[in-house]
Amino acid sequence: MKRKLLYASILVLVAVMLALPNYIAKMPYILNVFILAFYMTTMSMAWNLLGGMTGQNSIGHACFMGIGAYTSVLCVVKFGMNPWASLPIAIIVTAGITALVFSQCFILRGPYFTLVTIAFAEAVRQVILNWDFAGKAIGLGMPYVRGNSWLLFSFRDKTIYYYIAFVMMVLVYALMKYIDNSKLGFALKTIREDEDVAAAIGIRPLKYKVIAVVISASVSAVAGFFYACYYRYIDPNIMLQSASVELVLPAIIGGSAFVEGPLIGGILMVSLSEYLRNTFGGILPGINLILYAVVLIVVIRFRPTGILGFFDRRGRE
Amino acid sequence: MMDTFLQACVNGLMIGGFYSLMGMGQNVIFGVMKIINFCHGEMLMVGMYLAYAFYTYLGIDPYLALPLVALVMFIFGAIFQHTLITPSLGTHSFTNLLFLTVGMGILLTNGAQVIFTSDYRTITTGYSQKILSFGPVTVALPRVVSFCVLIAVSIALAFFLKYTQTGKKIRAVSQNPIGAQVVGIDTKKIYMITYGLGAALAGVSGALLTLFYVINPTAGSNFGFRALIVVVVGGLGSIGGAFLAGIFLGLLETLVSLFIGPSLRTLVVFATFIVILVIRQNIILRRA
Repeated sequence: MKRKLLYASILVLVAVMLALPNYIAKMPYILNVFILAFYMTTMSMAWNLLGGMTGQNSIGHACFMGIGAYTSVLCVVKFGMNPWASLPIAIIVTAGITALVFSQCFILRGPYFTLVTIAFAEAVRQVILNWDFAGKAIGLGMPYVRGNSWLLFSFRDKTIYYYIAFVMMVLVYALMKYIDNSKLGFALKTIREDEDVAAAIGIRPLKYKVIAVVISASVSAVAGFFYACYYRYIDPNIMLQSASVELVLPAIIGGSAFVEGPLIGGILMVSLSEYLRNTFGGILPGINLILYAVVLIVVIRFRPTGILGFFDRRGRE
Repeated sequence: MMDTFLQACVNGLMIGGFYSLMGMGQNVIFGVMKIINFCHGEMLMVGMYLAYAFYTYLGIDPYLALPLVALVMFIFGAIFQHTLITPSLGTHSFTNLLFLTVGMGILLTNGAQVIFTSDYRTITTGYSQKILSFGPVTVALPRVVSFCVLIAVSIALAFFLKYTQTGKKIRAVSQNPIGAQVVGIDTKKIYMITYGLGAALAGVSGALLTLFYVINPTAGSNFGFRALIVVVVGGLGSIGGAFLAGIFLGLLETLVSLFIGPSLRTLVVFATFIVILVIRQNIILRRA
């Protein structure tokens, strides 16, 4: 009975989300907020696979997204490729670089691993900043197309981006849910709880951690591709440490032990923070981040398992 | 060429001193609580604004305001530790503690932005433009004074940890918190003192920087991560190691910008850091 109710409410929610653009199509700003929320949620779910499920705290995820975005934009702008064709290349390049670097770095545990992700992200950003071909600090723009074009992934109509972002988020959620219940997911969670125990029962921590980071980075690359196509412009600042931190917060606030955590946290926090930015941004710049920080501190202090921890007793305590 | 090299060395030494002092603060916190304090750079920024506020509103010279800044930061750190970090210690995951300090950092940066706006500010005193020259090398007077103060504070810290009762307790807790509790040390109080001490050191570094550095809400982020590098490279719990690592980092930065180019400075530092970490861990694993 309870399950049925849950499925019904999810169906209703999805229906509302799909129908929403019909009512807010005249308000591009609101649409933009939703697209941003979907994008952030996707990134947060990607982080959560490595951070929440495997217990490896990365503060460099913006750089995976940045590598993906840069690869696809470079393919389109410098090599004249079709954006769709650049997507698999972006995924492969991001996954390749990540696997190469992190297969070496995963011998580091806990805080040391976090430090490496920060240093890695900053190093990648510095490479882009010094690389003429990638536009240095000026950044790169994607060509604009008149009207809507599925072939070139460029739309005048924001509602199409809304649907694409929504589908992206749902697909990534489905992937995470699948991993969560699969053998891989159990292996990752075992590693999170105790690496030595995992090794003792035949789960090779290094192998599974690399698998987790590669999946996580690939999803981030897809999100980066979407980001580049939506904003039509990227610069090295998308890889700043503050960007990495910002996309972790929804997962922590929502509850990083749950697959749904980033979903709840992302949609709630991004819409709230954008509303505040819009309303008070002129008088008090930074007010939305203050709210973010206060909510984060309060949640960690009083409900360490996140917002979802209120509803679920089987938290990570 | 020799002159520029010497000048670069001196500049590296001066900036390296700050990395050392920041690193020592971070080292004490990391050593005792085994958490990365992600708002260390932001605390430096708060120290800068405190010195700025003392100078502009009360007319206190930044160097005379040092004890005041240290006191305010100590109280701030102790309260933060006692109300937020200590309750989350132990029972919960490392992730939460990490993001607790991250959240505090965001709060401090944006709080400073709301209060002081994001304008660049500077402090100009009667002596801030004075230049000293030692042969071919010229250094601004405030830099020299700051460097001397910094050395004095470092030595004082080393003595404090080594010989005083509280210092010994701090070292005991960092070696084994449970054992320390067994022999009757109030660990919660030590945690408070430790975090307060770290915050005070960050604040003092910030206040020392104000005379020759621009003050703005994101000024600390540069120093925050470098402090972590210093801790990791210098070795946990080692004040001398942190001091050397800080100086080394400062020299590395200035020499890389001299010989390879200033724009590649950060890249080289971070890449070196990753390589050092991985190699060191490999050596540790080999030995075990």
